[in-house]
Amino acid sequence: MTAQEIEQILIKGISTITNTDQASVDPEKPFHDLGIDSLGFVEILVYIEKTFKLQLIASDLTKKDFETIRNLAQFIQRKL
Amino acid sequence: MIISKRKRYLSGLDWAINTLDYAMKSATCSGNMSQIVLLFDSRIDEEKLRASLNQVVSQLPVLNGHVARDLKLAPYWNIPAAARKDVSLFVHTHDFLTADELLPLLTESANSAFQDDTDHIAFHFFTNASRSALAMIFDHRLLDARGAESFLFFLERSLKGQLPSGDGAFTSSCELTNWKRKFLAGKTINRRVIALSKSLPRSLQIPENKKSRFLYRLLAFNEQETAIIYDRAYQEAGYLMESPFFLAVLTQSMHELMLHKSGDGSSYVIPVTIDLRQGTDSLAEIFFNHFSFLFYQVPVHAAENRKELIDLFKQQMYDQIKTGFPRDLAEASLLTRIVPLGVLGRLFSAPFKGKIATFAFSHLGKSAYQSTGFLDSTITDFFHMPRVPMPPGIGFFSNIYKGRLNLVISYLEGMLTNTEMRMLETAIRKRFGVVSE
Repeated sequence: MTAQEIEQILIKGISTITNTDQASVDPEKPFHDLGIDSLGFVEILVYIEKTFKLQLIASDLTKKDFETIRNLAQFIQRKL
Repeated sequence: MIISKRKRYLSGLDWAINTLDYAMKSATCSGNMSQIVLLFDSRIDEEKLRASLNQVVSQLPVLNGHVARDLKLAPYWNIPAAARKDVSLFVHTHDFLTADELLPLLTESANSAFQDDTDHIAFHFFTNASRSALAMIFDHRLLDARGAESFLFFLERSLKGQLPSGDGAFTSSCELTNWKRKFLAGKTINRRVIALSKSLPRSLQIPENKKSRFLYRLLAFNEQETAIIYDRAYQEAGYLMESPFFLAVLTQSMHELMLHKSGDGSSYVIPVTIDLRQGTDSLAEIFFNHFSFLFYQVPVHAAENRKELIDLFKQQMYDQIKTGFPRDLAEASLLTRIVPLGVLGRLFSAPFKGKIATFAFSHLGKSAYQSTGFLDSTITDFFHMPRVPMPPGIGFFSNIYKGRLNLVISYLEGMLTNTEMRMLETAIRKRFGVVSE
């Protein structure tokens, strides 16, 4: 799976969680600027586990990995 | 499903809130209600405020509804054909500059009962020559915390002629079908309740005084302090993990306090409210309760180690979201609506020998009130002062407004002495990193 494909899957999931249009989810915007709080963030982590079979809650994630959806897609691609 | 301007069926969580309201009215001076406070940088004209509030509130008969049961026994909010013409607005002249100076008066208003059972919202206006503040008291049976913020924002937009979507009709269902789904959700919740009740929660003694009121302490952090707190949350808990960090700090601070007070129990249990709304732009989503709970339980000994606490809170939050606990709770609670309020109140506390939780917590984060002003005045501060259902009778409520964190501690009179409250405040500030350790 390419990073671009992962990015599209993430955008779809995040738009559902934040109840926004997919078109308005900017893959280069930081998560906190998308109006996501702790709970929303955990919902995204659960979505990632269910979709990509990756458990990230207890991993050593840094702010950089989650800086944007694009960064996260690249991080997931490296882990798959 | 029905779409009606006169009838809105109550959800299971609405019914739980009604139960808590009944219990609080029986045990304290008032019901399950809260207060939002807006501080302004200037003086708002009283008559202009009264006229503006009346203009909007008189168009919302839902504000004067009451609970009833229909022939199928499902409880609903009975909405009158028309609203009252005059809003309950009480005016107080008082010299103040900061929220702290206003706190004694805000404490009085937060504990004042509504005039009758069809009155669910009231305003207290504090004014002097140069400043003013507005407190909106609201009945939790009609508005939850996020809904109340949205309601104020609705007021602000309405006065500017920007009305939200919706014609005031509510879509609801008596929810007397899909029993299998409800019972399966009930099974999940039951398992969680049994697991929680295996360990008795450590909690503060509730004073037995039926006229007890709630007292408040406001911890207002400036922008620099807020930045320090959020940076510490990131360093210790990770990106966007401020809620587990706050929970860990509050649990440690309460633990420190508990060591000075007698009390048994081997765990700390913390119910945390979470918002289930999909959006807040329609009138229908402003009113009634659209939240659920996460329940955290940590062993008392874990409170000695913040890293261990943070990891436990993160994992428990993850597990509950993954298993869909909040939505199961909302679904399963529909089954309770048949039970009368008094009986349900006793059932709630049965599995825990009356000790349901150690403290309540809610972090509203960024406010749903998306304006920086109200009636041509600039808002300088915005915070919540809830009355906490008891047990536990003590709770912590945080929000962010204009980049500043406010943390309100609400507790039943007699639970803590002034010295203990100061100790708790110092413990929190120290762990937030905003006073030297």
